[in-house]
Amino acid sequence: MNGWNGRILEIDLTTQTHKSYPLDMEMAKQFIGGRGLGVRLLWDMVGPEVDPLSPENVLIFTNGPLTATGYQTSNRFSVSTKSPLTGTVLDANSGGYWGMQFKKTGFDVLIVRGKAQKPIWIEIKNSEITFHDASELWGMRVFELTEKLGQDNNKRNVLCIGPAGENLSRLAAIMNDRERAMARGGPGAVMGSKNLKAIVVEGTERPEIMDQERFKFLLYETRKLLAASPLTSQALPEFGTIMLMNIMNNVGALATRNHQQTQFEGAEAISGETLSETYLVKNAACWACPIGCTRISKTEKVEGEGPEFESAWAFGAQCGIDDLAAIIEANSLCNDLGLDTISAGSTIACAMELSEKGYLDSDLRFGQADALARCVEDMAYRRDLGAELTEGSLRLATKYGHPELSMTAKGMEMPAYDPRGLQGQGLLYATSNRGGCHMRGNMIGLEVLGLPKLIDRFQVQGKSSFVILNQNSNAAIDSLVVCKFTNMGVADEYFARILGAVTGVQYDTGDLVKTGERVWNLERLYNNREGFTSKDDSLPPRLLTEAPTDGPSKGWVSQLEPMLKEYYRSRGWDQNGVPTPKKLAELGLENLVDPSRTLEKIA
Amino acid sequence: MIDQRIYEMFREIGQSLYTHTMISSHGGNLSIRLGDRVVIKRRGAMLGCLKPHDLIETRLDKNDSGVALASTELLVHRTVYLNTPALAICHCHPRTAIAYSLSRDEIVPIDNEASYLLKKVPVIYEEFASGTPQMANKVAEVLKNYKCIMLRGHGSFSTGQTLDEAFFWSSTLEEACQIMLFTKQVGEPFIEYRKNSENYGKF
Repeated sequence: MNGWNGRILEIDLTTQTHKSYPLDMEMAKQFIGGRGLGVRLLWDMVGPEVDPLSPENVLIFTNGPLTATGYQTSNRFSVSTKSPLTGTVLDANSGGYWGMQFKKTGFDVLIVRGKAQKPIWIEIKNSEITFHDASELWGMRVFELTEKLGQDNNKRNVLCIGPAGENLSRLAAIMNDRERAMARGGPGAVMGSKNLKAIVVEGTERPEIMDQERFKFLLYETRKLLAASPLTSQALPEFGTIMLMNIMNNVGALATRNHQQTQFEGAEAISGETLSETYLVKNAACWACPIGCTRISKTEKVEGEGPEFESAWAFGAQCGIDDLAAIIEANSLCNDLGLDTISAGSTIACAMELSEKGYLDSDLRFGQADALARCVEDMAYRRDLGAELTEGSLRLATKYGHPELSMTAKGMEMPAYDPRGLQGQGLLYATSNRGGCHMRGNMIGLEVLGLPKLIDRFQVQGKSSFVILNQNSNAAIDSLVVCKFTNMGVADEYFARILGAVTGVQYDTGDLVKTGERVWNLERLYNNREGFTSKDDSLPPRLLTEAPTDGPSKGWVSQLEPMLKEYYRSRGWDQNGVPTPKKLAELGLENLVDPSRTLEKIA
Repeated sequence: MIDQRIYEMFREIGQSLYTHTMISSHGGNLSIRLGDRVVIKRRGAMLGCLKPHDLIETRLDKNDSGVALASTELLVHRTVYLNTPALAICHCHPRTAIAYSLSRDEIVPIDNEASYLLKKVPVIYEEFASGTPQMANKVAEVLKNYKCIMLRGHGSFSTGQTLDEAFFWSSTLEEACQIMLFTKQVGEPFIEYRKNSENYGKF
């Protein structure tokens, strides 16, 4: 077996039993691994009748054929489940070390079913599986727990939830290697609902590589390309992802104060440049990563990873806060309590606007840096207003009669990039299968950074083609699984070649992107089956009707409607956003649809 | 109605191709994919000075009246779009690269930039070159694995997400070929400076 281990481990928490069985290799070739394999398995296991927080939901942890091979950034892994935040299909992925270590246990997939009667944690040492009582660990925060369970980066790695997951926060993350997060969509709540506190892995098996000579050649060439790209060799190592703060602000696409403005007057104070000059201690890297975008920051109160751009934006510009120390501390608290920083920050911003407008009786106001830590703590423990915040901004705003003030797509809080100044990004948010997310396709590359070449960010006609290609390409990268930042220096053709060298199964660039398209369409089918329709491919009314009154995006709103129409047609979907039988046949998905149900019924 | 921004993109790249002597007065063509449609240069139009009416929009998967007006290479463009993730295609006639294509089955650059970016450029050949299904299929098949290829004695086809990117690959190829030619003219022994360059031919 090359690349893939060829084995699935399935654990039933209700009975505390486990079994392993072979991975269907035809399925593996079609969906590769990671997110792709995850959604394919989820399709069979979790139907529309399943509540995301019930024992019938599953957690599917997957690595990919490149994981742990030593190829640049081959450390990542993925979790797939039904989202308790959005009700959509969900995958979240993370870097660090855990994914590499999990692959070395000899499994490609870990499926966790059922619900333990009392809190437990699981230890996987190669094929040896042990269930441990976690009663005394329940309530423990992530940093302390990670250390207690023996985190040792290259040998033993800890994945766990914090109090937020235990308390079923819909914004709860699954944390690994102390401060890496599978955060979006609330997978930590699914783990908490199963009474599963942690999964610790130790492995000694190395994945086999089909063509070592070609692998080494491509490894070398990739290293050269990453070293030659100023983004991967200079900007990310020097400033981290937070380098984007000033860039996005300068183009007038930095969502500010719950998307009321598109530029933040305090951007410089929370930028990558300022972080480097003030609180930055050093940078760090995930396993096998030559880029090293991780920031290690230190304030009087905390020291640890981050903040990433999105976290600094969510607690910063989105809340009207320019106090970088307060942002770093809120970010660190989220990591320790196990919360998604983007949704947490944006939900606080929503509460600030509700309060300022008199819809919510609270003292929250934009710019209140000292409110951040209190809100984050309260969210994790469901205390006071935190009990409502922790349900996410859509449920919060709906409860107070103003759902239009929730800056979400399909119920998930959108990240920093304001779609009024980035037309393609708006279409990307609206059509993202897991909700408002920037990791489902990289339009910032094309519309702002010029990767591979700059396109007009206000152009509407033809934008759907770029969005579709990037969504498909990202789904493929998420299935390998490697870090999307490598794509800033290395084109898809390299990924296709390295996949061939590792597995012996030859993929060309088109095959790889087609795999991504297959993944995307299956995710779409999943959402259709859950009851999502074209009406859900939308953006908050503010972004469609309220144009910025100044700055480089002045006068622009998202032109979603014409782009969406073009998008459906270009995807080969009908006008209701349902994949046509012809498209499903083209992707080899036709047999997954129950013959007794027409596609129209699914929609 | 084709967006003004799209027209300007065609005009700028077309003009660059002409001023960089990558095409003759009426040679070459450019296209982009808009979902299930293709926007391509009008047959016989001059790429170096395109007017808005020189862009033809037609279907990707079947003919409509647009084919009466579109470039003779439309079939190649369509076939490439249907078989690769390309969103833009640049076809031009880079002279030095054409000269090299007459004597070899692949062009392996020796300069640093093209070595990084292209590794190698395959040279393909069909008896009936332009616009035939045979050539269209062959071009599309090779472009599944390469950003840029040469048709022997004819010109290059390169793909990308944007016209800008597709032009870049052909331009890089031509520059690489000029450097190879100059190196030959200099006539001094080549000093290999690229580790693993012996693998470029297998890329």
